[in-house]
Amino acid sequence: MALRGVRKEYGKTVALAGLDLEVADGEFFVLLGPSGAGKTTTLKCVAGLETPTAGRVEIGGRDVTEVEPNARRVAMAFENYALYPQETVYDNIAFPLRSKRYAQPPDVARALITQVAGTLGIGHLLERMPRELSGGQRQRVALARVMVRPADVLLLDEPLSHLDAKLRATMRAELKSLGELQHTTSLYVTHDYLEALALGDRIAILRDGKLVQVGSREELWRTPVNTFVATAFGQPRINLLRGVIARENDDTLFATEDGVVRLSLGRRDLAPGTAVELGLRPRDLLLGEMPGMATLRGQVYVVEPLGRQREVTVQIGGQRVALVTPQEDVVPDSLVTISAPPDRLLLFNAETGARMSAVGDDVPGDATAGIAAHG
Amino acid sequence: MGVQPDALPTPAPAPRRGVRIGDILLDGATIIYFIFALFPLVWMLLLSLKSQDQLFTTYFQFTPTLDAYRAVLGLDSSGSVPFVRFFINSLIVSFGAVLISLLVGVPAAYAFARYQFKGGDSLLFTLLSFRFAPELMVIIPIYVIYQRLGLFDSHLGLIWVYQLITLPLIVWILRSYFQDLTPELEQSALLDGYSRPQAFVKVALPLVKPGMAAAALLAFIFAWNSFIFPFVLTGSQAQTVTVGALSFMGGATPRYNLTAAAALIALIPPLLLALSIQRYLVRGLTFGAVKG
Repeated sequence: MALRGVRKEYGKTVALAGLDLEVADGEFFVLLGPSGAGKTTTLKCVAGLETPTAGRVEIGGRDVTEVEPNARRVAMAFENYALYPQETVYDNIAFPLRSKRYAQPPDVARALITQVAGTLGIGHLLERMPRELSGGQRQRVALARVMVRPADVLLLDEPLSHLDAKLRATMRAELKSLGELQHTTSLYVTHDYLEALALGDRIAILRDGKLVQVGSREELWRTPVNTFVATAFGQPRINLLRGVIARENDDTLFATEDGVVRLSLGRRDLAPGTAVELGLRPRDLLLGEMPGMATLRGQVYVVEPLGRQREVTVQIGGQRVALVTPQEDVVPDSLVTISAPPDRLLLFNAETGARMSAVGDDVPGDATAGIAAHG
Repeated sequence: MGVQPDALPTPAPAPRRGVRIGDILLDGATIIYFIFALFPLVWMLLLSLKSQDQLFTTYFQFTPTLDAYRAVLGLDSSGSVPFVRFFINSLIVSFGAVLISLLVGVPAAYAFARYQFKGGDSLLFTLLSFRFAPELMVIIPIYVIYQRLGLFDSHLGLIWVYQLITLPLIVWILRSYFQDLTPELEQSALLDGYSRPQAFVKVALPLVKPGMAAAALLAFIFAWNSFIFPFVLTGSQAQTVTVGALSFMGGATPRYNLTAAAALIALIPPLLLALSIQRYLVRGLTFGAVKG
């Protein structure tokens, strides 16, 4: 399945600004982005519910841009489930099997529905009406209706967003265990990074109708192309320390404005004076001075317990850095040293937000090893 | 001659803890309103059961008789007005007008609700504007045109002109119903292998049934009670009950008892219709309450 330069405008609003995307057969592909990024529009273009202003949609190598939705062999679970309120659960699931295109004899349909309903644990609800179901049950019915019929592409539009946190975690695990979903080419839309990380073979980050980055969860986590992608993942959010590139003797430094932080970057390709942001993931940071690591010194601002761990916010000059630690003896106002593994540092251009290559890359032979502590 | 909208069932009273003064006032106000609203109907009923010579007495003299009904229904020799035929005429033109308005108006309402097309809003407003002008404004040109076309005094002519009344009503009410349906329902049907017309018929249409019932009933009542159009556009053949009932009042001796009897008979079809679709009506008149 592929999108080639797909553009969608509603009047003067540009919903999709030329999207290029390729999803491999059987891949579970996640579209992640804030609301209004064009995720649902993308799905609707694939489904044929919206016609792109420009560009092509391909399914199985065939150009389907002008093909009617009912001829695309595409199944979609809608964010609001779109269950037919006047039909029972059984009739809802049976609905596709009663169309001309996916017609099945009643006994075959019954067997299929019973099987799918059993897989999803809604076998006992088949005679109920949708309004009598809880949100989680409706969501399963919507999934059952998608799974009961043959489809080349599955489109799942925020299927878990209306569930409460606990149910969402359960359903996330269940979705992952459903072979049908894992073996069919699927496009899954969400704004929840945990869902994206848990489910996606690959993840695409979408913003303002443009693709920001496509990659595996590792790539997006370790080598985000910009601060937008970096801040999209992780709780607590990645720390972004503002500073500038400075030159000292023969070395290039990251220095905060107030001079409290000075880290050697061990590379020469950076112009002094460039405003940058240093990205530090809270769960990568360690308390205490570690050999071979970049260190920062500051004063503990606040400590919040998170079960077995605690989130510690440290005041470093005029800025604050959060980190997560299992250590229990951290008290507010105490002076601490933070160590950061040099290969986990991310350096972004403060103006454009783009990551400056080399630092933090997992590419062998990179210049990251040269980072030394200056404090 | 109108139907009071008293077909709505009153909700079951909540269990009370003692009688409250507010409840008494509310009940009192309700009773006063009902007396006010039903008084003309009671008067008409009494009038229709009187004999001709008791009509104009200045004191209350009342010997109930069904003579007026017999006369209206042509069961005695005095019936000079073919009221039964008028009644059938009214049924034909009112049902005909509503049926055509539904056939044309429901798909139109769906199109207005779902598609943005050039001139759509203007078209919708034009439909509404039919209801702005009093019918008297257009009646003379229509009269002349109907005379030329041979539509004068015909069922088809009335059904046609009634579209001015029934079509805007049905289009506007049902458009809002369709707008309240989330489009994902039909989109889902499209992906489930159905064509657009099928999605409309199988998914959208069943969900607006309450709206269709309410809109059709209102349209029927307006058509049934229409007076000016049949008064001007019909002669002896296609005349309706509204004009027919009034004709008893003409002549040397106004026969108010016959008019009253005719009016009460004319009340029956809208009433029966309202009762028969009551279960849709309760949902339908609370516009747009079609949530899953």
